[in-house]
Formats: sequence, structure tokens, C-alpha cells
Amino acid sequence: MPFSRILVAVDGSESSDRAFAKALELAVLTRAQMTALAIEGPLPAYAATIGEVDEVKREKDAFFRALAERVRAEAARSGVELEVELRAGHAAETISSFAAEGGYDLVVLGHRGHFLRDHLLGSTADRVVEHAPCPVMIVR
Amino acid sequence: LSDIAVAAVLAATVLLASTISVELGLSVALIELFAGVLVGNAFSLDVPSWLDFIGTFAGIVLTFLAGAEVDVPQLRREWKASFSIGLLSFFGPFVVVALLAYYGLGWNHRQAEIAGIALSTTSLAVVYAVLVETGLNRTVIGKRLMSATFVTDLGTAAALSILFIKPTLWALPFVGVSVLLVAALPAVTPWFFSRYGDRVIEPEIKLVFACLFLLMWLGARAHSHAVLPAFVLGLVMSGHYASHRKEQERMRVVAFAFLTPFFFLKGGMNVSLGALWANLGVLALLFGGKMVPKLAGVYPLARRFTAPHAVFTTLLLSTGLTFGTISSLYGLNAGIIDRTQFSLLIAVVVLSAIVPTVIAQRFFQPHAEGELARDRAGG
Repeated sequence: MPFSRILVAVDGSESSDRAFAKALELAVLTRAQMTALAIEGPLPAYAATIGEVDEVKREKDAFFRALAERVRAEAARSGVELEVELRAGHAAETISSFAAEGGYDLVVLGHRGHFLRDHLLGSTADRVVEHAPCPVMIVR
Repeated sequence: LSDIAVAAVLAATVLLASTISVELGLSVALIELFAGVLVGNAFSLDVPSWLDFIGTFAGIVLTFLAGAEVDVPQLRREWKASFSIGLLSFFGPFVVVALLAYYGLGWNHRQAEIAGIALSTTSLAVVYAVLVETGLNRTVIGKRLMSATFVTDLGTAAALSILFIKPTLWALPFVGVSVLLVAALPAVTPWFFSRYGDRVIEPEIKLVFACLFLLMWLGARAHSHAVLPAFVLGLVMSGHYASHRKEQERMRVVAFAFLTPFFFLKGGMNVSLGALWANLGVLALLFGGKMVPKLAGVYPLARRFTAPHAVFTTLLLSTGLTFGTISSLYGLNAGIIDRTQFSLLIAVVVLSAIVPTVIAQRFFQPHAEGELARDRAGG
């Protein structure tokens, strides 16, 4: 079996949706176990008010709860049992360390997230390719 | 430029700052502050009187909101750690920076006091964001850190209100009304809010604003600052807001949409880049004056109360932003410090929001799950 444990990173962007669809196809073909990892991403750095942090945190929580439900439902329609994990932190580091700790043999992710930061600092995909402990599939 | 032209430029700047903040994941306040520096220096714009007024009121609203965030039961539970760390975190830099400014930089005693106050602060929001992002807000260490931060800010607010008060007759009504509002508002609020609240015309917010304007007026007459009563008023209202989150949210919406952007823009517009460039050595000295006593003073206590993450705690308590800006703006508006001194203080405040946070997160951040396990085990 080429892959037995697939990790797919999801963030609700179009690019990540395409990556999730491809990962799902692969999981069906290879009967691999599949986990979707959603990274909440950092809260506003150097905030001046607790309110600003609270509001962003609440929005993120609601967004990722809905995202988790959506990907679970899509996986169920394809007959794949999907584990969904939500983590806080910096995307590339968290994806790489989660893949290493969980013994995954493939990481799938989109080539572009929905933050301008990705374009300015180099994409999450580039950094995961550099640090992941296993093959990485980037979906365009 | 006419007032309305300046308003149009600033409104566009505020809008742009919000979108940049979302895209970069940076605090909107910091972007607004930087935008103010750019607009003020690039177009040589003076701060118009209407912006001065709104900015001053926004500072008081920010202080009230900070007080309303205090978790009073938590503060009571952790009073020993909170007060010992928090007070040392305030007094250490206050004394060192004031002495440095007075003897080392030749500032007069009132200017030195403003410097001491502005650089003694700890940023509640910067600490809170780091703790929530990492999940550490659920741990004992996180709770102690937040409580200590509240105490430090209480020290800053008290110093700002008390040190500059003049012994005139106006001090009596200022103190009397402050005490009356602090005692009466939490008692009146449940009845007032249930009868008039939850409407789009927002009588709850108007009640709070009326109290804050009254405190500002009396504070100005007493040659003091309403920051302490505003903070304490927020603190006594925190229990109410904790059980009525919608009211707190609406208050935040009003503040963030209209008031606080002008507060930070005003702060930025008063910064002179030329003055900063010409005084880089003084800037470094003042930054050291804030960081060294914070680190040296807090670390031994942090080792006792937040081991094994004393360095992380100490670094986060060295951050500053909102109260530092409020204190510096008060000094500038009251004619105590000049624009160069203000620029230096704001630059140090912003640096202290960024540098210790980056170091703490990059090198000393504890693992939340491990900490929660330690808490459960009683460690």
C-alpha cells in the first residue's frame, strides 16, 4: 500500500479545498487513514486591547468549527472516516511537527493560503516541504 | 488642509489600517499608530483639535475597557502572586526610568515622572494574546500572569492620576464623584440596563460615556487624569460584563469602530521621526531603563510563583503598549513633555510591545498541554 496515513491541512481557502478533494481521492484509492489538520493561525500580534484578541479568537473558533463539520461531511460521503484536529500556532511548524508525531507518510496541502503573509514571507507549502518528515503533495 | 479634508484622509487611513491588520495578522492599533507616524510626518499634518478631543476620550474608554476585563475572582484567588509580581513590575521600571531621565537625561522631575509611568506599564492585551494563542490562559501560570498584569496597570493608572493632582478645591469633587460612581454604578446598572438596555439607541453605552466624560472634566479641573477612576469603574463593572457579554461586545464595537483608531492615529501623528533619528542613543538608554529593572526585578519573584517558566513570565511582563501610549499622550497634552520626549517614549513603548514578545515566544514558550498536566498533578 503506497500510503497508510494521510495528513491533509485545511484552512477553508479554495486552494485547501482542492487539496482536501485530492487527499480524499487518494484515501479512497489506497484505503489510507486520513486526518484533516486545521491550524487556527496566530491571533493579532501586539494587540492593544483584550477585546480585539477576543473577537478574533471567537471568529476563528466559529469558522474552524464550521470547517471541521464540512470536511467531516464530505469525507463521510466518500466513505472515509476522517479525524479532524484543530491546533493553534504557526501553520508550517505545526503541520510538520504533527506529521512527525503522528507517523504520517504523506502530507497534502494547497499551494496557497488566504493570508497576504504567505506571499510576503514565503508560503506555508514551501516551509512544510522543507521541514516535513515524509513526502509532501502540493495541490494547485 | 481643512478639518473635513483631514478627517477624510484619516478615515481612509483607518480603513487601510484595518485591512492591513487583517492581512498581516498584526494588531490594528499598532498599524494605526504606524499609519499616524507616516501620515503625520509625510504630510506634516498637525493634530486638529477635534482629533485631540476624540483621542483623549478614546484613551479613557480604552482604560475603562481594560478595567472591565479584570477577572476579579481570579485576582482574589492569586492575590499574593499577583500583587507581589505586579507591584514590583510597576515600581522597578518606574523608579529606574524616572531617575535615569532626571539625572541622566536632564529632564525635569515632572517629565521624569511621566517617563517612569509610561515605561512601567505591562500590556494586558499583548500578554493575553500570547496566552490565548498558546492555550496557556487555562493554566495556573497564565492566570497568575494576567492577574499580575492587572496589578501593574493599576499601579500605572494610580500614578498617573495621583502624581499630577494639584491641591485645589477641584480635587474634592473629582475624588468624591469618582468614589460615588465606583460605588453607585454597579448598583444602578442592573435596574438601568434591564429597563433601558438592549436597544439600538444604546442607553447603556451612553450611561458609561456620560460617567467617563464627567470624570474627565473633573479630572482636568483638578489638574489630574481620569485614568484611575475610569480603570476602577471598569473593574467594578467587570462582573456585570462577564455575565452580559453582548453589552461588552457592543461597547467594543463603538470603541473600535470610531474611538480607538483616532487615539492611536493621534499618538502616531505626534511622533517626530526626525527627533527619533537624532536621539537614537537616548532611545536605547530608555529602552534599557525599562527592560533591565523589569527583568531584574520580576525574575526572582517569577521563579518563586511561576517556575519553571520564570523567563517567559518576566519577558511578557516587560511588554507595554496601550497604557504607555495613554501616559505619554497625557504628558504631551498637559504640556509636561515636549514632542521629542513624547516620540522617544512612544518608540520605547512600541519596541517593548514587540521585542520581549518575540523573544518569549521564540525561545521560552511553555507547552500548554504539559502545563495543564502539571496543574492537574498539583505541580
